[in-house]
Amino acid sequence: MQRRHRTLPELKASESAQAISFTDPSLACKLTAMGVLPGAIIEMVRKSPFGDAFYIKVDGIRLALRSEEAQTILLTD
Amino acid sequence: MLGKMERSEQVLKVGLIGNPNSGKSTVFNQLTGLRQKTGNFPGVTVEVKEGRFTLPKGQAVALIDFPGAYSLYPTSTDEKVLVEVLANTSDPNFPDLLVFVADVTHLEKHLLLFTQVLDLNIPTILALNMSDVAEAEGIKVNPTRLSAQLQAPVVFISGRTGENLPQLIQAIEQLAESRDPWKSSFYKMNNDELRISEAVCQNFACTNPYRALLLAHHKDWLRFLSPAEHATLDTIVKTKQFQSLLQQVDETMVRYDQFTPIVRDTVQQPSVFPVTATDRIDAILTHRIFGPFLFLGVMLLVFMVIFYGYEITGGWVESTMAWLIEGTETLLQPVSAGWVVDFITKGVLEGFKGVLVFVPQIALLSLLIALLEEVGYLARAVFMFDKMMRRFGMNGRSIVALISGGACAVPAIKGTRTIGNWKERLITILVTPFISCSARIPVYMVLIPVALPNANWWVWAQVFGAMYLLGVLAALGSGWILNKVMKSREATFLALEMPVYRAPHWKNVWLTVVDKVANFVSGVWKPILLITSALWFLSSFGPGDVAGKAEQSAAEDIEAGIAADSVRGDLEASYRLEYSWAGKLGKTIEPVIRPLGYDWKIGIGILSSFLAREVFNSTMYIIYSLESVGAAEEEAAGDQSPFERYSSLKDKMAMDTHRDSREKIYTPATGLSLLVFYALAMQCMSTLVVVKNETGRWRWAVLQFVFMGSLAYVLSWITYMLVNLIA
Repeated sequence: MQRRHRTLPELKASESAQAISFTDPSLACKLTAMGVLPGAIIEMVRKSPFGDAFYIKVDGIRLALRSEEAQTILLTD
Repeated sequence: MLGKMERSEQVLKVGLIGNPNSGKSTVFNQLTGLRQKTGNFPGVTVEVKEGRFTLPKGQAVALIDFPGAYSLYPTSTDEKVLVEVLANTSDPNFPDLLVFVADVTHLEKHLLLFTQVLDLNIPTILALNMSDVAEAEGIKVNPTRLSAQLQAPVVFISGRTGENLPQLIQAIEQLAESRDPWKSSFYKMNNDELRISEAVCQNFACTNPYRALLLAHHKDWLRFLSPAEHATLDTIVKTKQFQSLLQQVDETMVRYDQFTPIVRDTVQQPSVFPVTATDRIDAILTHRIFGPFLFLGVMLLVFMVIFYGYEITGGWVESTMAWLIEGTETLLQPVSAGWVVDFITKGVLEGFKGVLVFVPQIALLSLLIALLEEVGYLARAVFMFDKMMRRFGMNGRSIVALISGGACAVPAIKGTRTIGNWKERLITILVTPFISCSARIPVYMVLIPVALPNANWWVWAQVFGAMYLLGVLAALGSGWILNKVMKSREATFLALEMPVYRAPHWKNVWLTVVDKVANFVSGVWKPILLITSALWFLSSFGPGDVAGKAEQSAAEDIEAGIAADSVRGDLEASYRLEYSWAGKLGKTIEPVIRPLGYDWKIGIGILSSFLAREVFNSTMYIIYSLESVGAAEEEAAGDQSPFERYSSLKDKMAMDTHRDSREKIYTPATGLSLLVFYALAMQCMSTLVVVKNETGRWRWAVLQFVFMGSLAYVLSWITYMLVNLIA
């Protein structure tokens, strides 16, 4: 049975987890180019005022992602 | 453009590339200063700057500042431009060599694009920027080892302090003079990629295997490919079952695997990233509750600076123009015909004023926006408001345009260049003019008390506020509709880097302001001059002897005792306007605007508002034979409370009746309907010209004109009917 991985939006504010892989190839291309790599530790800094966007930190790089984008990032437990 | 700046054969073309936020534009400004020009890449509205400088031995350099990109697998129009040029060796902007600016504090992620470029076999210098910051953060780099492992020259620079720029220039000179063929390759293609690359090379003049691979990856949007070439690539990709997207991800990962050890070997950095000032500032500025309020506060400040800037500089422009007009009259009157003087003062100089009045506003707004961008705050605004604005087809950056539109749509629309996605930018451009700008205020001041003569100050203020609300609702509502109607193939991303907060680099800010103002003036002066001249012609000439007829009508009125002899001049001016083509036009469109409650005089007012909305007032002064008091009342307006202004005009308007029915023109129904019309109609030629310039086509300006006009017409009509029903 396949175990479901957590995705980035499930992280609480200031919680961190390691990224494993991406579910969408075209976004994967964009995210890796911006420094979000499988194996990287992602910190959820905070959620946006109206929800639906996330402020994350990866290797000292600060990024803003929409929830559709964040959902494609699978995390370890 | 790029063609505009003449480039002779001997000029060395140097491309400046790098990730967004790498400090590339600071380096560009440091190297070229004021010797730069902004234009668009042919066919796309992506901005490109080209600057000039000279190498120590005299070689002239054209430095082309490409849009920031993360990789050669682009996701935005901006990034695509880079691939479009680098993949096509015969592109006029194809560089002889490249300077790659990388932020040394996050070197790893910058090396992706760098190694991709290396594989294209273009001589490239790696400029490690922000060496000052790196030093402060305890980051140490071994440049010799890095250079050896990457097989490319490495230079440390600090764009902000200008440190080591001479070394960079020297490296450019050395590389340009070098006789050794540049040979560097970084990435080993896998078998699938090799097969594709070879197949492409068999069909195309092959300059480089990686470039051949890029053709296959990007065949669907590269614009330099002919249909035949496109078909060939299609066949290759199909027969070889090439999985472009998966290969792109694969290639990216392999590259990372290759350069990560190099970075580890050559760069020493602290193992943990400390909590910095940026984190502490963001805890407040992007706070879930305070963040948006702080942003609205900042925007309110921006709005107020532009608004008061307009009040002050508008006065300067008025007095400068008055001085110019007077001077021209005294100079020309003795030597030339009356109509020539009139044309120069009311046609040419009016157009000149139409451009001049926006210059301080554009300068102020671009100064403030450049500052916010420079310090890194705009990215936070995008993060906070992305969701909200996306419901209305726009993105987080659009909120800046909408708020500045409250001062003036012209600089606001110029400011939309920061919006990356074309559809979101277009929607922002199309809806921004709905927001009530400062030019509408004088019109509201006249119309509100005329529409509701029996109401008090408090009600008037509420109606005034309702006009602003109406504009906001119209902007968001149309955004929502346009979002549903317009198709976009371009995927929209947020995925945005939030740069470290830093003090603004004043040279960048200053050059941005200069550039924006120069760009605006060169873009609008011709069409605006044309329109003002046309409007002058329409209101100065008419069928037959306009002046004679006006004189006669005025004399008849005075003889009949309708008017006093003392106002003869004003009366003649009024009749001249009535008998002119503009007057005829006003009467011709009367049947069209009659359902809204308007007469031909309002028709002329609406037509002349095309110069700028506040011209409605001065036109009305002429029509109501008040030309001589108009100037005095407009001047006195500054010292009066808002609803006390323009009193004699308001009195005359309130008394006026329709020609046919003898009923009062300015009933509450007409007044409110006209207010709605002024809130919603596109009546500003400068905005239309800027929309045309920014979208590249008249098509969008025309669409906007028709859309806003129809909406204004329908809603004004509904207002007229409803108020009549209630009253």
